[in-house]
Amino acid sequence: MERGFLGRIAGLALAVTMPLAALAGGDKPLYTVEDGNKVDAATYNGFKVWRAAACDRCHGPNQEGLVGPSLIDSLKVLTRDDFSKVLTEGRMAKGMPAWNTNKKVMENLDDLYAYLKGRSDGAITSAKVKLMK
Amino acid sequence: MIAGLKHKVAATVACMTAAGVAFADADLDRAMKDPGNWASQAGDEYNQRYSSLDQIKAGNVDKLQVAWTFSTGVLRGHEGSPLVIGDMMYIHSPFPNNVYAVDLNTQQIVWKHTPKQDAAVIAQMCCDTVNRGLAYGDGKVFLQRADSVLEALDAKTGKVVWSATNGDPKLGAVNTNAPHVFGDKVITGISGGEWGVRGYISAYDIKSGKMVWRGYSTGPDNEMLIDPAKTMTWMDGKMQAVGKDSSLQTWQGDQWKIGGGTTWGWYSYDRAENLLYYGTGNPSTWNPTQRPGDNRWSMSIWARNLDTGAVKWVYQMTPHDEWDFDGINEMILADIDVKGQKHKALVHFDRNGFGYTLDRVTGELLVAEKYDPAVNWATHVDMKSGRPQVVAQYSTEQNGPDVNSKGICPAALGTKDQQPAAFHPKTGLFYVPTNHVCMDYEPFEVEYTAGQPYVGATLAMYPAPNSHGGMGNFVAWDAGQGKIVWSKPEQFSVWSGALTTAGDVIFYGTLEGYLKAVSLKDGKELWKFKTPSGIIGNVFTYLHKGKQYVGVYSGIGGWAGIGMAAGLEKDSDGLGAVGGYRDLQKFTNLGGSLTVFAIP
Repeated sequence: MERGFLGRIAGLALAVTMPLAALAGGDKPLYTVEDGNKVDAATYNGFKVWRAAACDRCHGPNQEGLVGPSLIDSLKVLTRDDFSKVLTEGRMAKGMPAWNTNKKVMENLDDLYAYLKGRSDGAITSAKVKLMK
Repeated sequence: MIAGLKHKVAATVACMTAAGVAFADADLDRAMKDPGNWASQAGDEYNQRYSSLDQIKAGNVDKLQVAWTFSTGVLRGHEGSPLVIGDMMYIHSPFPNNVYAVDLNTQQIVWKHTPKQDAAVIAQMCCDTVNRGLAYGDGKVFLQRADSVLEALDAKTGKVVWSATNGDPKLGAVNTNAPHVFGDKVITGISGGEWGVRGYISAYDIKSGKMVWRGYSTGPDNEMLIDPAKTMTWMDGKMQAVGKDSSLQTWQGDQWKIGGGTTWGWYSYDRAENLLYYGTGNPSTWNPTQRPGDNRWSMSIWARNLDTGAVKWVYQMTPHDEWDFDGINEMILADIDVKGQKHKALVHFDRNGFGYTLDRVTGELLVAEKYDPAVNWATHVDMKSGRPQVVAQYSTEQNGPDVNSKGICPAALGTKDQQPAAFHPKTGLFYVPTNHVCMDYEPFEVEYTAGQPYVGATLAMYPAPNSHGGMGNFVAWDAGQGKIVWSKPEQFSVWSGALTTAGDVIFYGTLEGYLKAVSLKDGKELWKFKTPSGIIGNVFTYLHKGKQYVGVYSGIGGWAGIGMAAGLEKDSDGLGAVGGYRDLQKFTNLGGSLTVFAIP
């Protein structure tokens, strides 16, 4: 929690001066963000998937959690594999659907993860993002 | 009139082989005539939620104490109320929709029914798994399960007598509404406007469970059971026939097939007219630009013949919805004075913030006024055309997709959602639990995929600005004049159905979990009690061994709980819930219980 908060502050400060990128482990950044709300094409696509699947109905317009948990918090805990598993299989008893029949979600899991991780890290400072020019 | 009805019933019996059709009426009638019972969700067929019991009154209500409690064993939003018939109380729960029959003499569970439903349904019900209660008639208890299965249970044993599948949950067609018994029919609706479900209402035979008729909300005339020459609507200041293809003409292509207009509210019935009344919900999607036209007959008030489903009249309140102002809220039937003239009226408090009064026999529009002064999306309803006059600034259609229209009042959850209002025959006024919440609404392009969410807008909701800071009011309304008589501010939305009584007391619950008794005269608070969880259920009353009891479910949830959270986030506030939602968490927690009160 503490670290998340500091990270967010750092993200805000950095965003003013240079694009912020988070590494996915390889060479390719997980997401790139400028000014807190301008993102790379893949992350922008993740945002569009988030909206199309109406995730906000349960997780809140700003991922802060409603009936469903805060994804700001969840993405600090879930691994990339956990994330795929939860989206594919759902958590039926808690009301999280299995998205395995939704092509749009299944084919864009990486992008969705990048967008939500960026939000959770505090690097993307508003839920609504624009495509970086 | 009554003799006429009896003749009609007798004729129906003669035409059918089963001799017991009239008995179905008789059983529920007998139960409803005894004011000691709470035999239907509203206590009557008129949706008045008025009880003639008067032991608990303004002068002694402050002595109310808890008589007994019962846990439903489910920690989700508890809407609706139990039923009481004789010595038996029938209690329901949210998903998985357990039913308990409790003997009021011993408070023992006589039988319980625990349906096995696919958990996948929970997600289709996003965001809460509410169920608005049971119906009774013909010695049976009717349960409308979440997965759309309508079950008739033997009231004595709980055994399933018949069941009918009312929709396809895989396509998002699920149920939250209570079934209603009118005459020899069980009436039920459907949910799923956010999944592109094409709405309908269905009548099942109370004896066999066979579907008698189904009327769709959109599409070809014959599937809606609309007669172009005989079905009437309010146009140009008078009632006129709707004409051919009244729905098809108002949709682009075949969008009506995924057009919404679902039917998950509270229905009412006028025996003398043999008319069933209910409302239809929002058109799908929430992005108005994608579905040009008036999108009839979503967002409408309907009057159908109970026996055939034929539509006598229909009135669309919000043509081409741009805000998710579902028209499903209850239709309350009352014979009242409207602008100096006696009318057999229908009164409806719509999500869109207007309180409507119509002549329920003819369908004429009599009154349409704001029942919350904060309502700003329309200046007024033009009484000649019956259309709301939309304010450009708050038009999400005119502002277009990917533009955030800000400061729209009310929010999508409406000035009132499903939480039913009550009528008191002595004052002739309506007592209305309301939301005082506004929103920012940003529509966006969305594709339809069968069985997947079909929403297309992002919303943020917050307490009405420049007001008392709270998110609710409890309002006394004069439906004859279209005026607020008094209004009592509440910190949170009042999401609990009201009860009026001959003891001149009005009861309602709050999201913090208080059951409140207020004065019929001026809304002054006379008594309150903190139940285990937030109240979104409806207050009911009954008599047992000569003593009056008042009860209510508590169990926070529904869209109310969500609304609390949704609202309080501005981008500048950073991440995480703030403000009102955090406040609500200070007051209450999840729950699932019934609390029953009496004067010792």
